[in-house]
Amino acid sequence: MKQPLDTSSNALRASTRAAREKERAIDGAAPVIPARPDAPDAAAQVYNNDFSDYDYSNFYSGSGDDAFALLDPFDAWWAQARPAGYYLFGQPMVTAPKTRVSVVETKGHRRLDNLVNLASYNYLGLSYRPEVIDAAVQATQRYGLGASGSPILSGTFDLHEELAENLAKFKKKEAVLLFSTGYSANLGLIAGLMRPGDLIVADQWAHASIVDGIILSKANVRFFRHNRVEDLEKKLKGFHGKKLVIVEGVYSMDGDIVKLPELVEVCRRYGARIMIDEAHSTFLFGENGRGVAEKFGLEDEVDIHLGTFSKSLGGMGGFVAGPRKLVNYLRGFARSHVFSCALAPGVTAGLIKALDIVQTEPELRAKLHENAATMRRLLRDHGVDIGESTSQVIPIMIRRDELIFPLAEEMIHEGVYLHPIKYPAVSKHRSRFRLSISASHTQEQLEQGADVIVRVLKRHNLCR
Amino acid sequence: MPLTFYHFKNAVSAFFEIPTERARELLPAPMQPLEVHHGSSILALTAFDFHDSMVGAYQEIVLAIVVPPLVKSGDPFPKSAMYPFLLGTSTAESRQHAIERWRLPHYMKNVDVKFEETNRHMRIRVMEGENPILDFEVTDYNWDPVDQLHQCFTRDGQSRFKVDIHMKGKFTEHEEERGTLELYDHPMCRNLVRDEIADRPFRELWMKDGTQIFEELQTL
Repeated sequence: MKQPLDTSSNALRASTRAAREKERAIDGAAPVIPARPDAPDAAAQVYNNDFSDYDYSNFYSGSGDDAFALLDPFDAWWAQARPAGYYLFGQPMVTAPKTRVSVVETKGHRRLDNLVNLASYNYLGLSYRPEVIDAAVQATQRYGLGASGSPILSGTFDLHEELAENLAKFKKKEAVLLFSTGYSANLGLIAGLMRPGDLIVADQWAHASIVDGIILSKANVRFFRHNRVEDLEKKLKGFHGKKLVIVEGVYSMDGDIVKLPELVEVCRRYGARIMIDEAHSTFLFGENGRGVAEKFGLEDEVDIHLGTFSKSLGGMGGFVAGPRKLVNYLRGFARSHVFSCALAPGVTAGLIKALDIVQTEPELRAKLHENAATMRRLLRDHGVDIGESTSQVIPIMIRRDELIFPLAEEMIHEGVYLHPIKYPAVSKHRSRFRLSISASHTQEQLEQGADVIVRVLKRHNLCR
Repeated sequence: MPLTFYHFKNAVSAFFEIPTERARELLPAPMQPLEVHHGSSILALTAFDFHDSMVGAYQEIVLAIVVPPLVKSGDPFPKSAMYPFLLGTSTAESRQHAIERWRLPHYMKNVDVKFEETNRHMRIRVMEGENPILDFEVTDYNWDPVDQLHQCFTRDGQSRFKVDIHMKGKFTEHEEERGTLELYDHPMCRNLVRDEIADRPFRELWMKDGTQIFEELQTL
């Protein structure tokens, strides 16, 4: 709206305002960076401020001349933020990650026993299967603790070759390349294959390891809206050159499944290679457990299959499965493979046994999906918002960021071990708990877990 | 410390992803855009409906790139920082004031900034006469009182400046991606490539019945 210039009335407003403003003071809600952080008075000044309006994202980047410039403000924030709820992350577990666990609460320095474990990735309960542990123990006794070398030098053992061959057969792919972690698998694959000037188009909810692999590759990147086929097409349109599209089988924060058929069709139309990260779906989905690509009958249409050993197999490590030419190329150019120590022999032997179990006990997968369906039903019956999950990863959408830590404390103290997830790990006000269901959960444990969750949410009018 | 107060009925912001290389082109060297993802930075559009200021009532649209804050020992730690690369206002007086006092770059003709609030939605329509410049829409979430510190960077020729700005009022923000954006062919949008900017905000912010308080302009 256009305003006529009226300097006389403006002057009058200014003078009355001046009198009013003399009485006003800025509250000083912004945290002050201590000039000398070790000085008690400076620290007190910081701690008296309200840090609840800040989060990790505020401390990511700052300009200035000192590389340590963000450490003091972060430290001051952390001193308040940690006891306010961030202490809930990374509390030490003092038992195996079974369906009931004991955890040391770092805030109160006390041990919390017999919690129903809805946090661990142990989807098939294989990390503590006696035969898996036996295999790991025997290999450790025979080969020692570590591989003592890079895979391309002295770190490759017969066990590694056996695991890679077995896995390639299982995945029905020509070859498999092993990595020490799932994170390094994404880094090595993406940065090993793509180059500056190429284009990578990834789902906006892609895991951090995918994002970091993209950064390392120095390729151009575009993120498409989650699972939106039309947006993928928009992002691919008009680019000439090498193109790689990256999706996940099951999205780790929401538990929903990739719309693979539609996305594959777009990739084919635009001449883009497609890679699927099946960290949360391989060994679990499809008739034979080969993953979401098998579930959709698209294993051959997907160019690169990536998976991890830390979730369904209960071990650690990652792998790329695909054409032999791709694996041979990555063996030389996937730097996280070349320059990392190979998987520990004990872990590798345990993984071989765990892979055997996956193939010989399909009932484990069936039980997992049955348990996940049970938990989803128990929660939905009470109006709990679990988003779009159709998998063993079940979010409990709380949304209000300020509630997530107090709710987490209540749930843990009432007998359930689960993790709060908040911004910037997820979007602002899309805070949630992420449940990881296991085939090993009993009906009683699922009911107990759901009871606690529903009881706490009811107390806060978040479900019926 | 002299303070300058601007009282507003509504301050409505929307953050859109913009390619980092485009954002960098809108910044003076050596300033860098903040990245929300690798290769993706933030175009911030903010519309103000000022009802009381030292230059009277006026409306304003601010086009800015979000940048990392300047962090210095002994200074308050800001919640965010931005470099406004173009502003439009509804009065010549407000424009002259902002250019002289804060070195803010302006589109030099009057623009109308319309605030259309309906049922927890706010639609902003920016026009020059009959010619549309841009429209955007945000929605609300929970409202809470806040007092936030932000940094604003400006320049005048080779001189670079910073001003600390406090924003106080009832505030809501979310990332539900419910908002919209429409950019039109207008000189104010000439540096914005429509196809490269997300057509919906990833973050929507709205402050009501608030005060924007500028501290002194500091030369960097």
